[in-house]
Amino acid sequence: MREKPENRIARIVDDLLHGRRLRLRAGDAEEKEAITAAARFAAARQGPQRMSPAFRRRLAQILESTPEEPWLTRRAALVAGLGVAAGALAGGVVGKALAPAPGSAPRVASKPVLPVDGKWTDVGALTDFAEGQGKLVRAGAVGAFVFRRGQSVTAVSSICSHLPCELWWDGGARLLDCPCHPASFTAEGKPSSPAYPLPDLNEVKARVTAAGRVEVLGT
Amino acid sequence: MYAFIYARVGNRADAEDLTQQVALKAIPRLRQGAPASAIRGYLFATARSVLGSFWSTRLGLSQAELHEDLAMAVPQGPPSDESTERAQRILAALSDNYRRVLELRFLHGYSLKEVAAEMRSTVGAVKVMQLRALRAAAKVDPDA
Repeated sequence: MREKPENRIARIVDDLLHGRRLRLRAGDAEEKEAITAAARFAAARQGPQRMSPAFRRRLAQILESTPEEPWLTRRAALVAGLGVAAGALAGGVVGKALAPAPGSAPRVASKPVLPVDGKWTDVGALTDFAEGQGKLVRAGAVGAFVFRRGQSVTAVSSICSHLPCELWWDGGARLLDCPCHPASFTAEGKPSSPAYPLPDLNEVKARVTAAGRVEVLGT
Repeated sequence: MYAFIYARVGNRADAEDLTQQVALKAIPRLRQGAPASAIRGYLFATARSVLGSFWSTRLGLSQAELHEDLAMAVPQGPPSDESTERAQRILAALSDNYRRVLELRFLHGYSLKEVAAEMRSTVGAVKVMQLRALRAAAKVDPDA
């Protein structure tokens, strides 16, 4: 016989108030709002929490036992970033650079954005674009990051190939980052991490006119 | 990050598991020279996706069905009393009986029996009230 919802919730609340793990099952989805509210109230009762020293040590060990990559300061990032109050992250303690993966799996090049009756839109003088730095431009309904390479330009769509969020250019890392999930792309529109395989960004057509103006194919 | 996650799952064991997942996913991808705001955004984005799959797995729902408030905004300052203040704002918006049952259970840690005695009611009635109060609390927008 199915447990009455009030009894089921009472049991879940009891677990939470005794610091036990959330043991849920499929039928609990009907009360998901009540369950998530209960979890938040249980957390509020305890006030802001910090990692226990034992957990901090365990986590540091796990991170250090994973295979080495071209980044070194997991412990530093852990101690500085994940352990303390989130605000401390604003201090900007960061691990070493993770070089974009060379030789990642070959991917099908994404198609260019070719709007029906598309038109070339002037987005500025070539001299307005810094070498190798992404600049967000709009050509009607098409958003693109334009990259200058000497006297020519390339462009990729400003929309992530996975979640439909607008990317931003991280000039320091030289990557386009998605604000909606942990994904980033190179200036060529390739995903930067082999651990997170995603389609390439769509190419956007861009050109430099004889007058030294940059134009993007948009709407 | 741990506090952020704890405030959403309400227990240490799950919060530790999820923090570990965030660490394993996000730390390798932190880059030197990235702006602090980007790092924060990145860590919270990872935490949100980890929390989303936690709830969808535990409840047997797809992430699309989850439709759950995972507090999408990145907290601006230290988490300090964020969850406590949020809880207080929600409680303030509830009817007297609902507020009382949740205060006694969650803030004062009363058992169902103790709540029943305090409210001159029965354990069965308190269970029903607790469920209804939680459903009502879930509908309150604490930022309204």
